Amino acid sequence: MTDIEYIRPLNLKEALSFLWEKGEDTKIIAGGTDVMVDLRSDGLDKKYLLDISRLEELKGIELNNKELSVGAGVTLSEIYSSKILKSNALALKKSAKNFASKQIRNIATIGGNVAHSSPCGDTVPALVVHDAKALVADKKGTRLVSMEEMATKAYMSCLSPRQILVKFILTPYQGGFTDFQKIGRRRELAVSRISMAVFVKKDKDGRISFLKIGLGACTPTPCKMESVEAFLTGKIPTENLIWEAGGILAGNMIKITGRRSSAIYKEPAVQGLFMRILYPVVKS
Amino acid sequence: MVHIEFTINGQKAALDIPADITALETIRSLIGLKGTKEGCGIGECGACTINVDGKAINSCLMLGARLDGTTVVTVEGLATKENLAPVQEKFMENHGVQCGFCTPGILMSAHALLAENPDPDHKEISRALSGNLCRCTGYSQIFVSVKEAAKLTDQLNQLKKVGG
Repeated sequence: MTDIEYIRPLNLKEALSFLWEKGEDTKIIAGGTDVMVDLRSDGLDKKYLLDISRLEELKGIELNNKELSVGAGVTLSEIYSSKILKSNALALKKSAKNFASKQIRNIATIGGNVAHSSPCGDTVPALVVHDAKALVADKKGTRLVSMEEMATKAYMSCLSPRQILVKFILTPYQGGFTDFQKIGRRRELAVSRISMAVFVKKDKDGRISFLKIGLGACTPTPCKMESVEAFLTGKIPTENLIWEAGGILAGNMIKITGRRSSAIYKEPAVQGLFMRILYPVVKS
Repeated sequence: MVHIEFTINGQKAALDIPADITALETIRSLIGLKGTKEGCGIGECGACTINVDGKAINSCLMLGARLDGTTVVTVEGLATKENLAPVQEKFMENHGVQCGFCTPGILMSAHALLAENPDPDHKEISRALSGNLCRCTGYSQIFVSVKEAAKLTDQLNQLKKVGG
């Protein structure tokens, strides 16, 4: 038995004050679906477990003044059943559909998924597509962190031990075409080998007027794919053009990761998934 | 140690637990309800599924201290003194059980599903049970059992209405 202490603060302020003093010795726990696995395998090298799962400040999904906010403590089940997200961030809702299993979606939080900084976090591509910024707080104030800055390397977030991820602020998108798809070794309870989110708008002439792409599980940390977005913007999407753009996307991944042994699979699979996800835009 | 108070299978529980144990250890070792099983211990198999505030969760991935203030149902809480729950009745009747190790978890996932969706189709059952592994049955009897349990639950609810 360890002498670890369990702390459940009543509000965010209390949590931040505690972390300001004892952050270095503290493990934050929200849903716990990652922390509990670590606890089981290695134990925790900390003195305190700070349970932030009941903090009201971390709950809720709200839309006001063209700003969509999703609390870091919102569970994947809540994301999947949210009407606000269905009409303003459908890719994020879709990413929650096949996230792990029902039992895990019922307790795991979006904040935990991002803070854990796994390269294959399923909510991340959709957050990239929506230009999400994370609102990060400590006792002295708050700051906004982009998804590209959030992870410094695989499984390492930029959060300091004194900080708590409070919520995500997304750019809401209505209309257009949006989707999230993932490739795993099986359909359910699968770790993503590749995941992808897109949002596309076309103008009256059928040209792509706006495009955002989020690629997951392919790079150690989240990246924007601006060169692919720029390549397609202003063009009428044909099968050949999307295929070519998928090739650029796969090429960008290789540029970041180098030719790892998985590249022989991932390079054509990224191109193929891009084609599959954007094919409805060609047809319509 | 952490003091927790919660409701389990309709009974109040109040106890002191170590801060770093799981809800599963709390229920099995400290409360002594051994129906909930530990399979993988990392949220892959679903054998430890319980219902917390009506939702199916893996008790191996839940910190015991988080049980404080919740309402929990484990497999021991499904049946009444007189009757088995519809899911139990129908799993027995349709051979949804072989070795039985995964069964408590599957029953709890199915129980939560039927509370949320009284008439699930094949796909909905599949999604709700995808976090539960069974190495014996090949699942087809489990699908039949859940579908039959949905029908039985509906019939019982109709009877209750008529009975006023």
